[in-house]
Amino acid sequence: MAECIEISIPSNLVFERVVRASAAEVAQAQGFPEERIEDLKLAISEAVTNAIEHGNENIANKLVAVVFALDHHKLEVSIADQGKGPGKMDPSRKVVREENLEEGMLRGFGMYLIGALVDDWEVSSSEDGTGTIIKLRFYREGQTE
Amino acid sequence: MSDQVVRREEFGDVVVLHITTNSIDAISAAAIEQSCSDMRPITVLDFEEVAFINSAGISVLLKFVVRARKSGYKLFAMNLSPHHQKLFKMVEMSRFMPTIEERDLAAYR
Repeated sequence: MAECIEISIPSNLVFERVVRASAAEVAQAQGFPEERIEDLKLAISEAVTNAIEHGNENIANKLVAVVFALDHHKLEVSIADQGKGPGKMDPSRKVVREENLEEGMLRGFGMYLIGALVDDWEVSSSEDGTGTIIKLRFYREGQTE
Repeated sequence: MSDQVVRREEFGDVVVLHITTNSIDAISAAAIEQSCSDMRPITVLDFEEVAFINSAGISVLLKFVVRARKSGYKLFAMNLSPHHQKLFKMVEMSRFMPTIEERDLAAYR
Protein backbone atom coordinates (compact mmCIF):
# COMPACT_ATOMS: atom_id res chain seq x y z
CA MET A 1 0.00 0.00 0.00
CA ALA A 2 1.31 3.41 -0.93
CA GLU A 3 2.11 6.07 1.65
CA CYS A 4 0.84 9.51 0.60
CA ILE A 5 1.87 13.05 1.32
CA GLU A 6 -0.39 15.85 0.12
CA ILE A 7 0.39 19.51 -0.38
CA SER A 8 -1.97 22.16 -1.68
CA ILE A 9 -0.64 25.50 -2.86
CA PRO A 10 -2.19 28.73 -4.17
CA SER A 11 -1.40 29.60 -7.79
CA ASN A 12 1.63 31.67 -6.98
CA LEU A 13 4.97 30.59 -8.43
CA VAL A 14 6.69 31.31 -5.11
CA PHE A 15 5.02 28.17 -3.78
CA GLU A 16 6.39 26.05 -6.64
CA ARG A 17 9.62 26.28 -4.66
CA VAL A 18 7.85 24.73 -1.66
CA VAL A 19 6.71 21.75 -3.74
CA ARG A 20 10.16 21.37 -5.25
CA ALA A 21 11.83 21.38 -1.82
CA SER A 22 9.30 18.85 -0.56
CA ALA A 23 9.93 16.62 -3.56
CA ALA A 24 13.65 16.66 -2.84
CA GLU A 25 13.09 15.74 0.82
CA VAL A 26 10.71 12.92 -0.05
CA ALA A 27 12.98 11.48 -2.72
CA GLN A 28 16.05 11.77 -0.50
CA ALA A 29 14.26 10.02 2.35
CA GLN A 30 13.34 7.24 -0.07
CA GLY A 31 16.95 6.77 -1.08
CA PHE A 32 16.79 8.02 -4.66
CA PRO A 33 20.26 8.80 -6.05
CA GLU A 34 21.32 12.44 -6.14
CA GLU A 35 21.15 12.82 -9.93
CA ARG A 36 17.67 11.26 -9.97
CA ILE A 37 16.54 13.73 -7.31
CA GLU A 38 17.68 16.59 -9.55
CA ASP A 39 15.67 15.11 -12.45
CA LEU A 40 12.66 14.72 -10.21
CA LYS A 41 12.85 18.29 -8.87
CA LEU A 42 13.02 19.70 -12.38
CA ALA A 43 10.16 17.59 -13.78
CA ILE A 44 7.92 18.43 -10.80
CA SER A 45 8.84 22.10 -11.05
CA GLU A 46 7.80 22.12 -14.70
CA ALA A 47 4.49 20.35 -14.00
CA VAL A 48 3.61 22.65 -11.10
CA THR A 49 4.54 25.72 -13.16
CA ASN A 50 2.27 24.48 -15.97
CA ALA A 51 -0.56 23.90 -13.49
CA ILE A 52 -0.21 27.44 -12.11
CA GLU A 53 0.32 29.28 -15.40
CA HIS A 54 -1.70 27.30 -17.95
CA GLY A 55 -4.17 25.36 -15.78
CA ASN A 56 -5.11 27.92 -13.15
CA GLU A 57 -4.07 30.90 -15.29
CA ASN A 58 -2.24 32.45 -12.32
CA ILE A 59 -5.51 32.99 -10.44
CA ALA A 60 -4.15 32.94 -6.90
CA ASN A 61 -7.16 31.41 -5.17
CA LYS A 62 -7.21 28.44 -7.52
CA LEU A 63 -5.23 25.65 -5.93
CA VAL A 64 -2.69 23.17 -7.18
CA ALA A 65 -2.88 19.87 -5.31
CA VAL A 66 0.25 17.75 -5.22
CA VAL A 67 0.25 14.17 -3.93
CA PHE A 68 3.42 12.16 -3.43
CA ALA A 69 2.57 8.45 -3.34
CA LEU A 70 5.35 6.08 -2.35
CA ASP A 71 5.48 2.32 -2.65
CA HIS A 72 8.22 -0.27 -2.93
CA HIS A 73 8.61 0.24 -6.66
CA LYS A 74 8.20 3.92 -7.28
CA LEU A 75 7.42 7.48 -6.34
CA GLU A 76 4.32 8.75 -8.13
CA VAL A 77 3.63 12.47 -8.04
CA SER A 78 0.16 13.73 -9.03
CA ILE A 79 -0.26 17.40 -9.80
CA ALA A 80 -3.85 18.61 -10.17
CA ASP A 81 -5.03 22.06 -11.14
CA GLN A 82 -8.49 23.67 -11.19
CA GLY A 83 -8.38 24.85 -14.77
CA LYS A 84 -10.40 24.03 -17.86
CA GLY A 85 -9.07 20.56 -18.48
CA PRO A 86 -6.12 19.14 -20.38
CA GLY A 87 -4.87 21.40 -23.11
CA LYS A 88 -2.29 20.54 -25.70
CA MET A 89 0.72 18.90 -24.09
CA ASP A 90 3.56 18.29 -26.49
CA PRO A 91 6.47 16.31 -25.03
CA SER A 92 8.40 16.19 -28.29
CA ARG A 93 12.04 17.21 -28.25
CA LYS A 94 12.50 20.96 -28.07
CA VAL A 95 15.89 22.60 -28.36
CA VAL A 96 17.17 26.14 -28.72
CA ARG A 97 17.02 27.19 -32.37
CA GLU A 98 18.37 30.29 -34.06
CA GLU A 99 15.02 31.15 -35.66
CA ASN A 100 13.25 31.00 -32.28
CA LEU A 101 15.86 33.29 -30.74
CA GLU A 102 15.32 35.83 -33.50
CA GLU A 103 11.55 35.70 -33.00
CA GLY A 104 11.82 35.96 -29.22
CA MET A 105 10.32 32.50 -28.68
CA LEU A 106 12.31 31.59 -25.61
CA ARG A 107 9.90 29.34 -23.72
CA GLY A 108 8.13 26.00 -24.16
CA PHE A 109 10.72 23.48 -22.93
CA GLY A 110 8.64 22.28 -19.98
CA MET A 111 6.77 19.29 -21.42
CA TYR A 112 9.84 18.07 -23.28
CA LEU A 113 11.84 18.14 -20.04
CA ILE A 114 9.09 16.33 -18.14
CA GLY A 115 8.86 13.61 -20.80
CA ALA A 116 12.62 13.20 -20.91
CA LEU A 117 13.27 13.15 -17.16
CA VAL A 118 10.53 10.94 -15.73
CA ASP A 119 10.20 7.18 -16.21
CA ASP A 120 6.52 7.39 -17.04
CA TRP A 121 3.77 10.02 -17.11
CA GLU A 122 0.09 10.38 -17.96
CA VAL A 123 -2.46 13.17 -18.16
CA SER A 124 -6.17 13.00 -17.39
CA SER A 125 -9.13 15.20 -16.49
CA SER A 126 -10.04 15.51 -12.84
CA GLU A 127 -13.06 13.50 -11.59
CA ASP A 128 -15.55 16.35 -11.93
CA GLY A 129 -14.38 16.97 -15.47
CA THR A 130 -12.64 20.23 -14.73
CA GLY A 131 -8.94 20.64 -14.27
CA THR A 132 -6.02 18.53 -15.29
CA ILE A 133 -4.11 15.87 -13.40
CA ILE A 134 -0.64 14.94 -14.50
CA LYS A 135 0.98 11.91 -12.89
CA LEU A 136 4.76 11.58 -12.95
CA ARG A 137 6.36 8.28 -12.01
CA PHE A 138 9.91 7.67 -10.91
CA TYR A 139 10.82 4.02 -10.47
CA ARG A 140 13.40 2.85 -8.02
CA GLU A 141 16.56 1.65 -9.67
CA GLY A 142 15.95 -1.54 -11.61
CA GLN A 143 12.17 -1.38 -11.12
CA THR A 144 9.59 -0.95 -13.86
CA GLU A 145 5.88 -1.56 -13.97
CA MET B 1 17.49 44.37 -7.16
CA SER B 2 19.92 42.75 -9.59
CA ASP B 3 22.66 43.32 -6.99
CA GLN B 4 20.95 40.74 -4.83
CA VAL B 5 21.11 37.96 -7.40
CA VAL B 6 24.08 38.87 -9.60
CA ARG B 7 27.55 40.01 -8.53
CA ARG B 8 29.48 41.73 -11.29
CA GLU B 9 33.23 41.38 -11.84
CA GLU B 10 34.75 43.29 -14.78
CA PHE B 11 38.23 43.37 -16.28
CA GLY B 12 39.05 44.69 -19.75
CA ASP B 13 36.55 43.42 -22.26
CA VAL B 14 35.37 40.73 -19.87
CA VAL B 15 32.54 40.71 -17.39
CA VAL B 16 31.86 37.79 -15.12
CA LEU B 17 28.32 37.79 -13.81
CA HIS B 18 28.34 35.63 -10.70
CA ILE B 19 24.77 34.47 -10.18
CA THR B 20 24.28 34.45 -6.43
CA THR B 21 20.74 33.09 -6.20
CA ASN B 22 20.62 29.32 -5.89
CA SER B 23 17.53 29.04 -8.06
CA ILE B 24 17.13 30.37 -11.59
CA ASP B 25 13.37 30.16 -12.01
CA ALA B 26 10.33 32.34 -12.61
CA ILE B 27 10.83 34.10 -9.28
CA SER B 28 14.45 35.16 -9.79
CA ALA B 29 14.20 35.65 -13.58
CA ALA B 30 13.33 39.35 -13.60
CA ALA B 31 16.20 40.29 -11.30
CA ILE B 32 18.70 38.22 -13.28
CA GLU B 33 17.46 39.69 -16.56
CA GLN B 34 18.44 43.18 -15.40
CA SER B 35 22.09 42.19 -15.86
CA CYS B 36 21.40 41.57 -19.54
CA SER B 37 21.92 45.25 -20.23
CA ASP B 38 25.41 45.21 -18.66
CA MET B 39 27.10 42.71 -20.96
CA ARG B 40 30.62 43.12 -22.35
CA PRO B 41 32.31 41.70 -25.49
CA ILE B 42 33.17 38.62 -23.44
CA THR B 43 30.46 37.81 -20.92
CA VAL B 44 30.71 34.87 -18.55
CA LEU B 45 27.82 33.63 -16.44
CA ASP B 46 29.10 31.93 -13.31
CA PHE B 47 26.77 29.22 -12.02
CA GLU B 48 28.85 28.14 -9.04
CA GLU B 49 26.15 29.07 -6.52
CA VAL B 50 23.25 27.88 -8.65
CA ALA B 51 21.57 24.69 -7.46
CA PHE B 52 18.50 24.74 -9.67
CA ILE B 53 17.47 25.86 -13.17
CA ASN B 54 14.08 25.19 -14.73
CA SER B 55 12.60 26.15 -18.10
CA ALA B 56 11.68 29.64 -16.85
CA GLY B 57 15.35 29.92 -15.93
CA ILE B 58 16.44 28.71 -19.35
CA SER B 59 14.17 31.36 -20.82
CA VAL B 60 15.92 34.17 -18.95
CA LEU B 61 19.35 32.76 -19.86
CA LEU B 62 18.29 32.83 -23.50
CA LYS B 63 17.78 36.58 -23.17
CA PHE B 64 21.52 36.81 -22.56
CA VAL B 65 22.06 34.68 -25.67
CA VAL B 66 19.84 36.96 -27.75
CA ARG B 67 21.58 40.09 -26.46
CA ALA B 68 25.03 38.61 -27.07
CA ARG B 69 24.15 37.63 -30.64
CA LYS B 70 22.74 41.07 -31.40
CA SER B 71 25.84 42.77 -30.00
CA GLY B 72 28.36 40.35 -31.49
CA TYR B 73 29.52 39.41 -28.00
CA LYS B 74 30.83 36.06 -26.83
CA LEU B 75 28.88 34.39 -24.05
CA PHE B 76 30.15 31.59 -21.83
CA ALA B 77 28.96 29.51 -18.90
CA MET B 78 31.25 28.70 -16.00
CA ASN B 79 30.98 26.27 -13.06
CA LEU B 80 27.94 24.40 -14.32
CA SER B 81 27.03 21.38 -12.19
CA PRO B 82 26.92 17.99 -13.96
CA HIS B 83 23.11 18.10 -13.82
CA HIS B 84 23.01 21.53 -15.42
CA GLN B 85 25.51 20.42 -18.06
CA LYS B 86 23.04 17.63 -18.86
CA LEU B 87 20.17 20.13 -19.00
CA PHE B 88 22.13 22.45 -21.30
CA LYS B 89 22.90 19.50 -23.55
CA MET B 90 19.26 18.41 -23.63
CA VAL B 91 18.03 21.76 -24.91
CA GLU B 92 21.23 22.42 -26.87
CA MET B 93 21.95 25.56 -24.89
CA SER B 94 25.63 24.61 -24.99
CA ARG B 95 25.76 25.59 -28.67
CA PHE B 96 24.96 29.18 -27.74
CA MET B 97 26.63 29.35 -24.34
CA PRO B 98 29.68 27.05 -24.29
CA THR B 99 31.43 26.38 -21.04
CA ILE B 100 34.67 28.05 -20.08
CA GLU B 101 37.08 27.15 -17.29
CA GLU B 102 38.07 29.73 -14.71
CA ARG B 103 41.74 29.21 -15.60
CA ASP B 104 40.99 30.23 -19.21
CA LEU B 105 39.93 33.65 -17.97
CA ALA B 106 43.37 34.26 -16.46
CA ALA B 107 44.68 35.41 -19.83
CA TYR B 108 42.27 38.35 -19.78
CA ARG B 109 43.02 39.49 -16.24
